[in-house]
Amino acid sequence: MSVADRSFSRRGIFKALGVMTGGITLGRWLGSSAVAAQEPVQTKAIETFTGPSANPHWNSVGPYVAEPQKVPLILLTDRPVQLETPRHYFRTAFTPNEAFYVRWHLEGIPNTVDLKDWKLQIEGNVNNPLALSLPELMQKFKPVSLAAVNQCSGNSRSRLQPRVPGGQWGNGAMGNAMWTGVRLRELLEVAGVKSGSLQVQFQGLETGQGPKGLGSNLFLKSLDVGNPVLDECIVAYLMNGEPLPMLNGFPVRLVVPGYFATYWTKSLTWIRVLNSPDENFWMKTAYRIPDTPRGNTNPEDMKAGRVKTVPIERLPVRSFLIWPDGTSKIPAGMNIRLQGIAFSGFGRVNRVEVSEDGGKTWLPAELGEDHGPYSFRTWGMSWTAKSQGRHTLAVRATDEKGSVQPDEPVWNAGGYLWNMIERQEIVVGKAS
Amino acid sequence: MKKRVLAIFLVMCGLMMVVAVVFADLKKGYYRPAELGSLRQTALIELSPDSKYQVSAYPVPGADLVPGDGRQEVQTYCNTCHSPIYVTMQPPLPAATWEAEVNKMNKAYGAAIPEDTTQKIVRYLQAHYTVENRTP
Repeated sequence: MSVADRSFSRRGIFKALGVMTGGITLGRWLGSSAVAAQEPVQTKAIETFTGPSANPHWNSVGPYVAEPQKVPLILLTDRPVQLETPRHYFRTAFTPNEAFYVRWHLEGIPNTVDLKDWKLQIEGNVNNPLALSLPELMQKFKPVSLAAVNQCSGNSRSRLQPRVPGGQWGNGAMGNAMWTGVRLRELLEVAGVKSGSLQVQFQGLETGQGPKGLGSNLFLKSLDVGNPVLDECIVAYLMNGEPLPMLNGFPVRLVVPGYFATYWTKSLTWIRVLNSPDENFWMKTAYRIPDTPRGNTNPEDMKAGRVKTVPIERLPVRSFLIWPDGTSKIPAGMNIRLQGIAFSGFGRVNRVEVSEDGGKTWLPAELGEDHGPYSFRTWGMSWTAKSQGRHTLAVRATDEKGSVQPDEPVWNAGGYLWNMIERQEIVVGKAS
Repeated sequence: MKKRVLAIFLVMCGLMMVVAVVFADLKKGYYRPAELGSLRQTALIELSPDSKYQVSAYPVPGADLVPGDGRQEVQTYCNTCHSPIYVTMQPPLPAATWEAEVNKMNKAYGAAIPEDTTQKIVRYLQAHYTVENRTP
């Protein structure tokens, strides 16, 4: 027996003794009931769909699925791919790339992109059409970084009453990242936008099986040439300091700060300056909201054709309680920290408040680090449940434009712009 | 005249080469069959404000179209652009909404499903995926 072996076995004896005495002591102190085997918790699968009432869960109800470069995410659809980010990934201001939600429109999405051949093309109504390789993008232009929330227009669609068809997202079709890349303005300046241009159109690598000229063949989005948001747009080749996952738009995607994700073209390859309005399906028919306060309407007015619509644009102010999430109990009297995030597409969130009396009184939360006007802002608040029972916490945010989250639902046919105050039931158990 | 034809020909060749280079190694639209849900979410366990603290395990899902007349047509025609999970993901929808959805596929997306097949698909969806008849 070697020295090492002997010392190992000696250590083993001490360990065994320690476990035995520890076990005996613990058993004596706690009594038998606390450590004895309990009746097993009855478990069942979450429902496979929700409705006709609102989805009562924070996330959507699909199974987890493992996709390339991703941790298990919640499956909405497999082909084309739509994946939702589980709630707990929103504890931090920046959403990890591997957990970032995914939403494609057409089934032909990149599996392989050869950077030797890939070029970002700027064409159309310009003086000098460009075809830029990734190294040219990285070296010929000054890199800029910006934190911005990417939220799907249909995030929280499963909350609407009556329910509307479409991707039945819970709250997880959103994410925040630090985007690094080239200013869109610089690219347009080098290309030289001709006078008389109306819009800039964006096209990525995704293609569909539908006939040419229809929305099922290409996904195209456009922004007006005079829209000030163009000055803030970035053609990003880094996401949180990493190359973009294929499912999030490798090699570059458009970042439109403050705007819904429909404009954030993934695998961006064509930037096309137009001298006539873009009337393709994805601008003229889809992603439009009622031209009313909050984009709110009702099925009757919609059916009667009384609703004028406009393209969706900025993210209304929202906030979420991320933890506690209602999956486990909190012992009464324990001081815990409520944690969440807030954001707005109209400017900084400068107030987050929590109510435990159904919105009668509101207590201010502490705001986390400011990563810029378009980022998630984390918030936290010390909280003690004084009594056992069921407590409901509500959270609301206010942005620097003075917009505060409403306590009324929104309804429109597309299932867009949901930003009602969120509530969470917390079950507080006896502590002794 | 001959020179001009030659010039046009050369320009065309050049354009085709540019297109060929841009798409030389772009591979996309590859999907593979897979078992659905080896990592299924679990329902919330029944919480009561007592002194027991418990967690549950993660079970496994499965989503498939309800057997019935028209199922085969849904799998054949709708599957061109999207898998049938686009049906099962939806909440129970009114019969009129299902009809509108299928019509949208034909008119807005150019699905070009034959008229009698379109009717069969609509009837199938209305028979299994409305508030009145959808089963878990």
